Amino acid sequence: MLEVLSLSVAYGGLRALTDVSLTVAEGQFVTVVGPNGAGKSTLFKAICGIVPVMNGRISFRGNDLGARAASERAHLGIAHVPEGRQVFKTLTVRENLEMGAYTKAGRAQWRHTLERIHALFPILHERAHQLAGTLSGGEQQMLAVGRGLASAPKLLMLDEPSMGLAPAVADLIFERISQIHREDGVTILLVEQRVAEALELSDHGYVLETGHMVLDGPYETLLADDRVRRSYLGLTGA
Amino acid sequence: MAGSSPAMTIKGGERKPVDFEVLIENVLNALAAGITIGCIYGLMCIGLGLIFGVMKIVNFAQGELLMLGMFASLYLVTGGGVLAFLGPYIGPFVGAICAGPIVFAGGALLHKFLISRVSGLRTTGTQDEGHFGQLVITLGISLILQNGGLILFGSTPQTVRTPLASRAFEIGPVYGDATVFLNKARLIACAVAIVVAIALYLLLEYTRLGKALRAAADNPTAATYMGINVDRAYRIAFGIGSGITAIAGGLMATYLSFGPFVGFDYVIIMYSGVVLGGMGSILGAFWGGLTVGFVQQCSALVLPPQLQNAAIFVVFLLIIMLRPQGLFGRSAERA
Amino acid sequence: MRQGASVRLRRDLIALAVIATAYLGASAFVSNSYYQLILTMVPIWAVFGVSWNILSGYGGQLSFGHASFFGIGAYTVTLALVYWDLTPWLGIPLGMLAGAVAAVLIGLPTFRLRGHYFALAMLAYPLAILYVMQYLGFQEMSLPMHRAHPVAYLAFTDPHWYTVTAVGLLIAGTLACMLVENSRFGLALLAIRQNELAAEAAGLNSRLWKMRALIVSGMIAAAAGGLYACVLLVVTPDSVFGMLVSAQAVVVTLFGGVAAVWGPIIGAAILVPLAESLNAELGNYLPGIQGVVYGAAMIIIMLAAPEGLYWTLRDRWFRRALPPPAPLAAATPAPRVAGVHSGGPLLEVVGLSRSFGGLRAVSEVSFAVTEGEILGIIGPNGAGKTTLFNVLNGVLTADDGSATLAGESMLGRKVHQVCRMGVARTFQVVRSFPRLPLLDNVIVGAYGAGLPDHTAVDAAVGALARVGLHRQAGTLAGQLTNKQLRLMELARGLAGRPRLLLLDETLAGLGRDECDEVLDVLARLRDDGMTVVIIEHTMHAMMRIADRFLVLDHGRVLASGLPRDVVENRSVIEAYLGKKWLARQNA
Repeated sequence: MLEVLSLSVAYGGLRALTDVSLTVAEGQFVTVVGPNGAGKSTLFKAICGIVPVMNGRISFRGNDLGARAASERAHLGIAHVPEGRQVFKTLTVRENLEMGAYTKAGRAQWRHTLERIHALFPILHERAHQLAGTLSGGEQQMLAVGRGLASAPKLLMLDEPSMGLAPAVADLIFERISQIHREDGVTILLVEQRVAEALELSDHGYVLETGHMVLDGPYETLLADDRVRRSYLGLTGA
Repeated sequence: MAGSSPAMTIKGGERKPVDFEVLIENVLNALAAGITIGCIYGLMCIGLGLIFGVMKIVNFAQGELLMLGMFASLYLVTGGGVLAFLGPYIGPFVGAICAGPIVFAGGALLHKFLISRVSGLRTTGTQDEGHFGQLVITLGISLILQNGGLILFGSTPQTVRTPLASRAFEIGPVYGDATVFLNKARLIACAVAIVVAIALYLLLEYTRLGKALRAAADNPTAATYMGINVDRAYRIAFGIGSGITAIAGGLMATYLSFGPFVGFDYVIIMYSGVVLGGMGSILGAFWGGLTVGFVQQCSALVLPPQLQNAAIFVVFLLIIMLRPQGLFGRSAERA
Repeated sequence: MRQGASVRLRRDLIALAVIATAYLGASAFVSNSYYQLILTMVPIWAVFGVSWNILSGYGGQLSFGHASFFGIGAYTVTLALVYWDLTPWLGIPLGMLAGAVAAVLIGLPTFRLRGHYFALAMLAYPLAILYVMQYLGFQEMSLPMHRAHPVAYLAFTDPHWYTVTAVGLLIAGTLACMLVENSRFGLALLAIRQNELAAEAAGLNSRLWKMRALIVSGMIAAAAGGLYACVLLVVTPDSVFGMLVSAQAVVVTLFGGVAAVWGPIIGAAILVPLAESLNAELGNYLPGIQGVVYGAAMIIIMLAAPEGLYWTLRDRWFRRALPPPAPLAAATPAPRVAGVHSGGPLLEVVGLSRSFGGLRAVSEVSFAVTEGEILGIIGPNGAGKTTLFNVLNGVLTADDGSATLAGESMLGRKVHQVCRMGVARTFQVVRSFPRLPLLDNVIVGAYGAGLPDHTAVDAAVGALARVGLHRQAGTLAGQLTNKQLRLMELARGLAGRPRLLLLDETLAGLGRDECDEVLDVLARLRDDGMTVVIIEHTMHAMMRIADRFLVLDHGRVLASGLPRDVVENRSVIEAYLGKKWLARQNA
């Protein structure tokens, strides 16, 4: 479904990504892990068209994304739950979700999707008319995920959903994400710092370090590989 | 300039009993004028509120958009204008409303070619959010519109004449002989202003377009993720902001005499209203404008005309120094 | 004076003298009084532009209301002449004094505002004054003629002498601008314009410098206004306080070149004759053509060449003719940083806390840094590391706790005061002055520490030597590589001769080799006795350079100690990799 080939991105004079490749097949749950500053968010931003691409190709369901403007990509079926949630603080919870459903697909299935979102995150139904900026961190994250779902996407991309959240809340979010994958059959691309939680849920994992893809494989392989730990804690000598 | 009611200055030192009635009459009329004109100012401020308050674009030329609204209405309704057939009772007000779409188009063009280069996604995250460029470019636009207006329209003061401007509803006598005069033209203008304001509020709050505009202004990056074309959204919002102010201008044209430089007097009033009402809030902008208009009209009781505007400036300075978040700022932050 | 100032000054003064002489020579042949008037107005508007340039060009404080000072100068001269029979030769200096007073009165409240609010407020002042003047009845005032001794009253029968006086004023104003540009005043303003927070962190009291700039600017503008009154002999509130007047200062400088001595002169020389002659030719059919021209000029220049003609042309054509690197005195060996308690704790933080609403960004953080050691602060994203630095630095206040540097409290002070205590801080985003040589970029740090000129140069040179960049001292900062920019930032901090370095992600985005070079520099600094606290994410680098680690998570201290130990610490691993990982490893 999503194919990234030899992607290189640089901005502000910094090489953020060098020759990165990954594939997400339909129905899969793929995770990208890596330490801070590895370029994970940049990868997402490049897929969504927010940062310019130096080299390489990104294609989604046969469409070359390079030819598409950033605001068109959502309409192709890509939903992005950004790092730091980025909810619309001055809009209500319900309005945030409505914005998620801005795409045609989203609007067509609005009724059904809204019910589903409320089932997954009941608190969004309770606080439907509250300003999003007044929600707690965990609630905002739920809203951001709900907003992503609202567009009835083919691919749901989540950028560090656990960041800044208490462990119990983060665990809940992961559970829901897993539910969405299993029950709704949405293809998921997840970026995370919490390695085990993320890898456990996924079919396939990639490890990104300082802009390079250093490891990839099915999750059992990665979990058993000590190189992951060393990569995070700076013990790689290479 | 500030359409003052037939205010009679109080002669100091001569305190005759009947002067009290005169005082009451003056005060009541000032209050009435304050509210009616305040509503029109409120509409004017909503236009800037959308551009400056919501989109955070500093637009120096907003006063000129007001001026364009006045002239658009003038040329539509008088002489050989297309709406001249409506006559002097309905014409001026319909003309004011029709000025809206005309200036909407103008504003959208300005945004497309000039303002988009120094605002929106292009400047999000830069040190001053593009404000320097916006200030300079809109100052340039302001100069061109003012002086271009001088060339095109001439310097003779104009008004959109309506006989309603010299008629008034009389309420009273309410105290002795004191009567409140509600100028018909201003009253109708006030009503139109309120209707337009409500219509805009409904548009922004309840329609998909309105919500998309608010989302784009709130967080352009996230809005792009949603599939919203932020550039187009800003363009539409800028156009609406221009059009709304233009409608207010058209309404003001019925009781003011104006020339190409009239916008100048109102820029500070508009900014005062928007800041007082709280950035980011359309309702706030309306209340802010209403308050400023109200204060201005009431100050006519004690201040001579030239100082009225100076007083507004002082108020503006006090507001941005003491309470820049305004009275009704939308506090959406969980701190 | 800055390095190389005397060379630049001499060159610029000669150019100024030549141009002035040529201009006056040419103007002597002009007999038409209208053209002579244009020739007089060019230098007047130019010097008005110079005044704006000092505050808004160099200083970056965009003012749309310089007409306040212009008008004050004009009216002081006029009123003094009308009521006290005071000659404008004295009236103009009096006007300058009034301008200075106005600057202080305006600056005190208004500098509390930022960005567009500042510009709007500055706009409001001349308009308010305009209305007051109209109210007071000063509608139109003529300057009385003095047929007996015209020259004593700055009134000339031959209009050519007005041009001479105007050029004289322009020379004086330009000289002032040159002196500012070539001294620490200019660099301080540029630093503030560039990044006010970083300038404060380098020790510059930005409020004070901005006020000084406004006073100088106000005085020059008032002088211009005063002379304007003498030339036109009629003053109305609108002609000296009006918006078009403020706009002229802006347009002329923007068009010609911001933050450049020649900018306003170029701008005025092009725009004033253009607008005036268009006005003269077409003014009858197209009244207001002047305003249209100025408006169009502003828009075009903003879109095409936002920094003005001078810079655009210079960048394009004179790229080859770079000023040769100024010959430097042999780099003085870096003085060993004298410690108050050698080997004792230099920085002690106890129970430091800072919250934003309900979120505890920094929570009861305590640690100590001994002199001559490198402490690495690590932790997952959002752990509060930069917030901690912001509190130590003075950018944010602390809610609770204490932080002392060699016993003296660091809290409750303004940013530049903390810097003066001996704390240097770098920021994640490095901004340089791209058109200035490296040495000038670095010397700002020395100025911030209050070092006098000669010592400042030594300090800057020494700092460059310590980071290994002394051979590039003359290179323009715009040509430096990423790594060199980071080292420049480091050198800027060192130039203030600090006792403590707070480094924020200095290694971010550097390649492997570049990283190694910077690490070598840091190691050398540590060996020389410098104390360093560094926030970093590049773990492998931190492992090599840090003596100790402090791990933060969710604002709390998770662990501290030797790197090897910390990395094996269970809670640290959990914080980075998650609970489940740890559970799996133990399973």
